[in-house]
This record gives sequence, structure tokens and C-alpha cells, in this order.
Amino acid sequence: MSLEIINSPIFATIQDKGRFSYTAIGVTNSGVMDEYSYLVANKMLGNELDSNIIEIAFSNVHFQAKTNTTIAITGAKCELYINDVLKSTWQTFNVKAGDIIKVGKILEGTRVYVAVKDGFDIQKEFGSNSTTIKENLGGLDGDRLKKAQVLPCSSFVQSHNTRLKEQFIPKYENELELRVILSYQNEFFPQEQIDKFFSSSYEVTNDFNRMGCKLKGQEIACDINGIISEGISFGAIQIPSDGQPIILLKDRQTIGGYPKIGSVLPIDCFKLAQVKPSCKITFKPIEIEEAQAKQKEFYSSFLA
Amino acid sequence: MNFKLASVDSLIIYFGDEISQDVASKVKTAYSCLQDLKLDGIIEIVPSYSSIFITYDIFKYDFNSIKEKLKESINLEKTVNEKEKIVTIDVYYGSEVGLDLEDMSVKTKLSIDEIIEIHSSKLYDVYAIGFLPGFAYMASVDERIAMPRLSSPRKQIPKNSVSIADTQTAVYPQASPGGWNIIGRTALELFDKNLDSLSPLSVGNKVKFNPISKEEFLKQGGVI
Repeated sequence: MSLEIINSPIFATIQDKGRFSYTAIGVTNSGVMDEYSYLVANKMLGNELDSNIIEIAFSNVHFQAKTNTTIAITGAKCELYINDVLKSTWQTFNVKAGDIIKVGKILEGTRVYVAVKDGFDIQKEFGSNSTTIKENLGGLDGDRLKKAQVLPCSSFVQSHNTRLKEQFIPKYENELELRVILSYQNEFFPQEQIDKFFSSSYEVTNDFNRMGCKLKGQEIACDINGIISEGISFGAIQIPSDGQPIILLKDRQTIGGYPKIGSVLPIDCFKLAQVKPSCKITFKPIEIEEAQAKQKEFYSSFLA
Repeated sequence: MNFKLASVDSLIIYFGDEISQDVASKVKTAYSCLQDLKLDGIIEIVPSYSSIFITYDIFKYDFNSIKEKLKESINLEKTVNEKEKIVTIDVYYGSEVGLDLEDMSVKTKLSIDEIIEIHSSKLYDVYAIGFLPGFAYMASVDERIAMPRLSSPRKQIPKNSVSIADTQTAVYPQASPGGWNIIGRTALELFDKNLDSLSPLSVGNKVKFNPISKEEFLKQGGVI
């Protein structure tokens, strides 16, 4: 009762909501980059919302089902084949033992998610299955998924399949506006620098991975060069001395000494997780009250 | 105590704007209060040199309500001495593992034995943990052996290396690139999946380095 990986994926990892309460000793939160795709996949399968999932970047992962089960595939638009028949994503599929599932070329977006009914049956490490390669924690062996690895799963088959309504399937475009709560060292940025930050357009660089996303554009100057190292939030925007913003994501370092102008709303970071280098990024300020309301609205929509 | 927004679900409390024992002791006291609080809805508590970063459940608290709750829970007058934990780290300071000892000896005009004596005679405070899991920033190293980071970082510092950068000292819990001066090696695991706490160290602990012989180091499972 499992899915077996039958090719050599470039970069696929097991993830879940993340690993919490160990940040104080330097263990990052990790977790899925795009929680929207993650939650939809688990919701469609009727799973616990924090069930684990496979996060695929750079495409091309082939599986063989070793049991009859139900899977869900969400996230980036990709060439998906089940037994060489082209399928569209954002739906569940009943697969039979022996079926070949191929996540091929990614067409729009950057990360594909593959979930299975009840999640993969893998021992958690420190409360989570999330893989953090630099810490050698989570997944099957603390590393990315490799050829011939076997992911145990249940053989429960759903009686009917679900497809997400078209209006809820995200469009991955080449422009994205991110809402920012001014926070941390924002008072050390002169007003004209903050104005420049919110009125400029930035470009996503190739320096974009699970740790963070480096942008390129108008330089932002800060009155202070460095700060005493302190805890870093998901979405925090560091401004190093070259003035180019870095948005810190799931595998971020736990403490750091660069000034931060604010933090991107997590639900917007989930959209950022799907953009490609050269995507245009703009920032818009949001107050904490509204930000919390938006954030709660997002999670509440999955609880219904 | 200065409370500041960090993100939609986190805040940071500042206890000063310098690295000092006085500020660190406030952090330590407040950290102890927060740990005792065991408040449902607090997700992470991350102490550092001069601050504590806190992530909370926004379905339970908004920024103002969590701020009030934390304010009333932190008593900087609290005595936390009874909880003081001293961790001893056995170190083999041999030249084959203390890669920068000779260079430091030249620069400081101290003998290698004197450097070892100075480094191991002091009790250090753990000010922060980060960079790598279990990488504890400890201070303050005696000014006589304080040493700036290498001008060109090493591509690979061996696991368990004991090191100095300026007036801070640390142990690399795993092999990693890094620019600290390497003076010895321990057999103690600083990031240990067999421990519930994952690390024998936490912020606020005190650390004593204890020089041991090569034989003892190898007996403890040390690797050269």
C-alpha cells in the first residue's frame, strides 16, 4: 500500500504545515510553500488539514501506485498524465494498483502538490513530516525524494471524485501585489524610503528558494546598517546593505541581523511561492487589524 | 520592555539596544516567565541577545490582547537563579583539531596553553541560538583572546568545532561553511535528535569548557 517514485525527481519533498516550537534552538518552521494548494488538496480528499503532501518544484516526478487509492493534485498548472492520458489538475483521482502518474512539465506557476487520501504514513520528526534539507529533518530521510523510494499510504478509495470550481483555481501571472505590515525596524527607514518601497516595482531574481526570495529594483536605504540578531517571522522583508529586499519564507534562518522594513502577509507569500523569476512585484501597506481579518478569513474558509 | 509588531501573527519584545549581560539577564528572566506561562495560543518563543520574538494564534489573540497578556505575565524582578543550568562541554584543544590556535598564538602573543587556559577558565552565557540548529552564541570571551572572523571563511568547518569570533564563542553542531576561528573540538552533540529538547543548550544557560586529552576525547567518541 504505497506510491513508489519511479524516476529521479529534481526537487520534490514531503511537507506539511510545518514544525513548530523548536525555533528557540534554531530549527526552522519549514512547511509547504503554498498553503492554498496544500489545504485545497487535503480538503478535497477529506483529510485532516495538516496531513502531509508532496511538494514538487521544477517538474517531472513519476509515481506508480502500488495500491488502489485516491490522490489529489493541485498547485502549478502542469502536464499531468495518468497511464499516459492527459488530465487536468485541481481534482482528485481514483488510481488503481499499477497505474503510472506522471507530473510532467510545469506550464504556469512553479510548485505542484500531490496529496493522498489520509496522507502518507511516515513517522513525524519533532511534530512534523516537513523536510528541511539543511537540517536533515523530516520526509523519509531528511532529504529530497529519490528514485525507488516508497511512500506508504492507505488503500481507501473515495466513492466520488471532486474537482475544484474553476473560479477558485488560481491564475499564475507575471505580476503580483504583496500586502505588507510595516513592522520591526520600519521606524529606521526614512519616510521617503518607505514611499519609494511602496511605489516601486521589483523583479523576482533567480535567488528564490524555500528559504527566501531576493528581489531586484529600487534600492531602499536604512538609517542603520545592522541590528542585533533577532527572531524572524515568515514573510519578513530584510533590507541588506545593497538595498535589495529579501522576503524570508518557510526554510528561513531563525534569527538574523539585517534590518527589516515589515512583513508580507502570509496568504500573499503563498501566491509568491508560485511565481517565476522576472515576475513583477509591488507592495501595498496593510494595517494589522485588516491583515489579521484577511488571514483568518483564509483559514476559516477551509474549516467550513 | 518595548513591544513591536513583527508580522500578522508575531511580535517582538525589546529589552535594550545593546549586547550586554544586563540586557541578556532581562531576556532570560522574561523568557523564564513566558515558559512558565504555558499560554495556549503561543506558538513560538524565540529569545535572542536583546529581544524575544513571539508567534501567536490570531484566532485566540489580536495584537493588543496578546500584548496585554504578555505584559502582565512578565515580571523582570523575578528570580530565576534556581533554574540556572551549567552545561560542561569537554574540549580537546589539540593542534590537529584547533586549526587556528597557532595563528591566534602569533596574533595574541600568547602561548597556545595560555589561550586554552583563558578560554576554558570562564563561565559563558548562551545569548542566542540560531544560524544552524543548536548553534549557540556564547559570550563574553576574554578580550585577550578575542579574534575577528577569518577574512575568508572556510568552505567546510568540521562538525563539533569549538570556535571564537570577536568576544563570542560557539560550537558548530554540524559541518558547515563558516568564518569563526577554530580552537578545538568536542564529542558532545549540540543538535541531538535523541534528546526531547533537541539540544543540551538553551538561551540563558551557562557553559563551561573543560579541556580534555586526546585519549579522553577519542574515548568519548570524538572524531579527528
